Amino acid sequence: MNILFTALILISIAVMLAVSPAQVFPTMISGVKSAIELSVKLLAIYAVWLSALKMMQATGLDKKLSKLLRPVIKRLFKGDSDEAYSNISVNLSANMLGMGGVATPAGIKAMSLMQDGSEKITQNMALLIVINATSVQLVPATVIALRATAGSSDAASIFLPTLIATSISTLSGILICKTLSVKNDSPNRKTKTLSHNIGNVKSDFGKYILKMRRGK
Amino acid sequence: MSVFILPVLLLVLIVVSVAKRVKVYDCFLGGAKDSLSLVKSVFPYIAAIFVCIQLFRESGAADWLAKVLAKPLSYLGIPAEITQLMMLVPLSGGGAIALLEDIIARYGVDSYIARCAACVSGASETVFYISAVYLSACKAKKLRYAIPVSLFCTLLGTTAACLLCRFM
Repeated sequence: MNILFTALILISIAVMLAVSPAQVFPTMISGVKSAIELSVKLLAIYAVWLSALKMMQATGLDKKLSKLLRPVIKRLFKGDSDEAYSNISVNLSANMLGMGGVATPAGIKAMSLMQDGSEKITQNMALLIVINATSVQLVPATVIALRATAGSSDAASIFLPTLIATSISTLSGILICKTLSVKNDSPNRKTKTLSHNIGNVKSDFGKYILKMRRGK
Repeated sequence: MSVFILPVLLLVLIVVSVAKRVKVYDCFLGGAKDSLSLVKSVFPYIAAIFVCIQLFRESGAADWLAKVLAKPLSYLGIPAEITQLMMLVPLSGGGAIALLEDIIARYGVDSYIARCAACVSGASETVFYISAVYLSACKAKKLRYAIPVSLFCTLLGTTAACLLCRFM
């Protein structure tokens, strides 16, 4: 992020020096101004949403969800300890509800419980990263609230498409991880290059699409 | 229909809270208190990315980049206006929210572009940030296929979101 930020700013300012040098500072300051306006909006959104999350925690709804997830997690992350399973279920259920503050510590704990001592992460660790990185949030509350404050006629209309899109990305992530780990388990194929892996991902995706089409 | 989703969920939550004798008022106080510290921690990221976005846009570099990427993305049905958001989402959550707000202000909240952008940012996560934070307590640092797979699946989700927004 440091490199990206510096590069972007450097290029932009260099170009602006040639085109409109007087605009550099006003542009930067108006940028921070918009940031403050957005922060005030977010402050209001979070105040409402976080209090709803507090209620969820107090009523134990989050724990119930993590219990429901438990059997699925046991099957997905075969071969790890019970302690890891319970941390994973807390992590995923909290992320589903949008409670990043609860999810992250549990995720970190789960990761350290799953490592096998080598420098490489295990297949289950990769799976947990992919599941989290493809977003498992059920209600995109911040986005919906932002749309509502901007005066949308139906702020929650993005709920369903978002849910479908994130399910597609998470499910395909799990599928690809599982196919990759099956391939990695076979002997003599331990060292693999990145391009190799991407190739596998592509062919797996092709097979998946074929399957889907046949299914239809 | 979808207008009812969140209010009904909230209503159910409050009813359950009352049934379980949870102090609703205290929950609200706690939430409002937490929101202050949350915004405080997110603000620097939002400020940095807004400065970045505005400079990038004012200099004309953004238009150039969007032009270059418009063609390959159009094959996937992703509008060029979403390009910058797509590139920012894996890097910075606060930044993505900032850019989403910017897109909403520019194109109008109920426009196809803005709804698309909302879906994309709602359906994706900060891939690089997550993999760094989750591994922070681990000795293992080699990520193997985790990042390429996550990015590829995010692209898949983005494509799906842009397609779904056309008729949903």
